[in-house]
Amino acid sequence: MALKSGVLIDETALIRAAQNGDDAAFEQLVRVYDQSVLRLAMNLLRSPEDAHDVYQEAFLRVFRNLHTFRFDCSFHTWLYRIVTNLCLDHMRKRKVRKEEPTVLATADGPLDRMDAVQEERVDGDPQRHLFSGQVRKRIKEVLGELTPRERMVFELRHYQGLRLRRIGEILGTTEEAAKNCLFRATQKMRIALGDFI
Amino acid sequence: MSGKRHEAMSCEAARGQFAMLLYSELSFDEEERVESHLDGCAECRAALDRERTIQAAFDSVEIDPAPSLLRECREDLRARLMEQETRPRRARTGWWAQFTDALMLRPAAGWLRPAGALTLLAVGFISARFVPVLSSAGARGGYQSMGFAEPAASRVRYVEPASNGRIQIVLDETRQRVFSGPLDDPQIRALLLAAAKDPSDPGLRVETLDILNTRAQSADVRDALVFALRHDQNAGVRLKAIEGLKPFAREPQVRSALAQVLLSDSNPGLRTQAIDLLTQGANENVDRQIIGTLQELMQRGEQQGYVRERCRRVLESLNASAETY
Repeated sequence: MALKSGVLIDETALIRAAQNGDDAAFEQLVRVYDQSVLRLAMNLLRSPEDAHDVYQEAFLRVFRNLHTFRFDCSFHTWLYRIVTNLCLDHMRKRKVRKEEPTVLATADGPLDRMDAVQEERVDGDPQRHLFSGQVRKRIKEVLGELTPRERMVFELRHYQGLRLRRIGEILGTTEEAAKNCLFRATQKMRIALGDFI
Repeated sequence: MSGKRHEAMSCEAARGQFAMLLYSELSFDEEERVESHLDGCAECRAALDRERTIQAAFDSVEIDPAPSLLRECREDLRARLMEQETRPRRARTGWWAQFTDALMLRPAAGWLRPAGALTLLAVGFISARFVPVLSSAGARGGYQSMGFAEPAASRVRYVEPASNGRIQIVLDETRQRVFSGPLDDPQIRALLLAAAKDPSDPGLRVETLDILNTRAQSADVRDALVFALRHDQNAGVRLKAIEGLKPFAREPQVRSALAQVLLSDSNPGLRTQAIDLLTQGANENVDRQIIGTLQELMQRGEQQGYVRERCRRVLESLNASAETY
């Protein structure tokens, strides 16, 4: 999230107040970031239950460890390190246990569980209807085939709009490594969508 | 021209950089080389257009969590934090930290507990004196359907011992008041209009606009919707605002806001809706300002496929040039 300098000053004050046990300040801090955290978890895990778990665990970890935050990096980077680690853990576990797919077979045909939990406005988004259900289905499949790291870098760059340098900081790697990861992800997706677009 | 090697870069190498080009992640020199290749290679320009389409297709599977999920997450987190609060915190040292711990009924050194208890007694005494006054003040408001709850939370904000032995305490209290009434009630309306601009909670703003949208025929509500569409940082809120403004897309104030969205909003869904609303029935009653907006978009090299195509078709149908007059 791009914060204006004035807001950053307020954020520092909020963090310091929360570090001193001010619960209202902590709640305000949560509200600055919690929508983007939930969106990140939801898009990566494509399960409202898992996204809910990541949200809870991430902010509880922030609450427990906020006193160790020393402003060595931005709060956003620190928070996203926690969230991305939790999401990567979920994705790796899921790869191992081959979790049930989000697309369910119903009497009326296949149903994507995620369609039922998306915000109403997305269904009303004409951009969404520019691409056929078949294309969207294929994109979801390919996203699921990326490695957890490729998926994470793609998510952070494409959907969250973070720069590769920041993504490197969050994932504890270099900008160059993040760039290679994004390159592999986009190449895989371009190949997989070759017959569709 | 495909396969031909340009002086600076081959088609294959250029295409390998397209994704990074669109993400603006190339260095100045890398971007220059790709751009100069594109200048002389029509096939690669077409391939770049395809890459743009693929990237736009990725947007179609993005999920926005439902407001109900966000609300549930927040409520559960609040409950879990309260659980945490009841557990012992990390040890705090220093006499002042231990004294304030004693005030907040946290574990503290034995000698400080009586001091904390004494201070709490003082808080109780002061609260007993002031709370009835506040309650009766609330009752004087005379608002029939209003409930005036006991303080939902209170905490000592500041404590200062005075030289005469008295202690000054500043107490923060959070009260909740419940209002209910019809949407057309002026007080309900005023509160909703204030909530629509509450900077701390986008979820609240979305829900508020959802209610206000049913009264968009009123000028004050329409002003609030236009304000949200122009200035709200949250795309979900802006989408809710545009939904309420749809029936009023012919009004100058609304058209001006829609044109701003079309020219500068970062959300593709909003821009798509804006161009649809601005150009609906364009043949019957077109205004030159919109033609100018569409021409400006085309001249900028609009990258969103649907918007570009829609611009082109409307300008064509109006026999307007894609250039500025």
